[in-house]
Amino acid sequence: MNISIKQLFGRKPKSSSIAKQRLKLVITQDRFDVDDRVMTRLHHELAEVLAKYFEFSANSIKMDLKQEGNSYILVADFPYTKFHNTNMGQ
Amino acid sequence: MGKVIVVTSGKGGVGKTTSTANLGTALALLGKSVVVVDADVGLRNLDIVMGLESRIVYTSMDVIEKQCELAKALVRDRRVDGLMLLAASQKNNKDDIQPEQMKAICDKLRTTHDFVLVDSPAGIERGFSNASAGADEAIVVTTPDVSAIRDADRIIGLLQNAQIEPINLVLNRFSAQLVGNGSMMDQADVLDILNIDLIGVVPEDSGVITSTNRGIPLVYEDASPGAQAYMRIARRLTGQRIPIPDLEDKGLFSNIVKWFTRNR
Repeated sequence: MNISIKQLFGRKPKSSSIAKQRLKLVITQDRFDVDDRVMTRLHHELAEVLAKYFEFSANSIKMDLKQEGNSYILVADFPYTKFHNTNMGQ
Repeated sequence: MGKVIVVTSGKGGVGKTTSTANLGTALALLGKSVVVVDADVGLRNLDIVMGLESRIVYTSMDVIEKQCELAKALVRDRRVDGLMLLAASQKNNKDDIQPEQMKAICDKLRTTHDFVLVDSPAGIERGFSNASAGADEAIVVTTPDVSAIRDADRIIGLLQNAQIEPINLVLNRFSAQLVGNGSMMDQADVLDILNIDLIGVVPEDSGVITSTNRGIPLVYEDASPGAQAYMRIARRLTGQRIPIPDLEDKGLFSNIVKWFTRNR
């Protein structure tokens, strides 16, 4: 029984519950949105570390933030052309 | 050793200065020694809200520039024992003060007083960093509307990064009637979003306007609902455990509607 009397009579949803829903969404974004400068720095630092192990072109790395429910996922794709086997065991 | 508490909000106009004036006065009425500090350099208002505007001689800027001793810059509120105001300079701006200088003032004040309440300016810039630099704890004031709550969440994040703890919420200008007809978020909604501890709910009270007009903090009028709410918050700040009363007195019809809609 999730249908309330008000819904049966075709009343609009309360503005307070709309406010709460909108706030929850925007605050989740505010909390997880990463500063562009931070993303650029992370991009450079990741490329630096990855270059020790792989051969790739630095601007082929793609980074993205994805939202799943209440959490955010940082996704980084880097197509590499070669793995530096010589680094093994050092 | 006294506590330094920053009163802040992010958004302007939600009642930081009113809350600072009333909580400072309330704590003094409870027998504590209190300094209220206006950290809104260039846009000072705590003095006029408290009715002390004609008695300001020195400001925190004069103390920082060593024009006068800290003790001499404090204005004594003659209506109650143990309440002092440290005014902000009106002719300087926020960048003229460094966070470390504000911290030094707060650290000195806490050696001689039980409570130091710092009234923060709106915003997340220098004025806020100055106001919170010397704080152990924070009171975040918000009203139950989307912009104030969103800004409160930003401020809470910054306070957490600065390891200021606890952060207590004052929900201001609350209207049981508007909550009752579904046009205002209730305290549970706000707490669900902000996820910090509630220290009090202050109802919408027209007495705030008249008391500000007169320069007499509301807490001197015992009977007003706003005054009672601020007195309860002050008692909680002193460590007393006082439950937060349910302000949702909505009348019979609203309660019937609520009963039908509570499963939504």
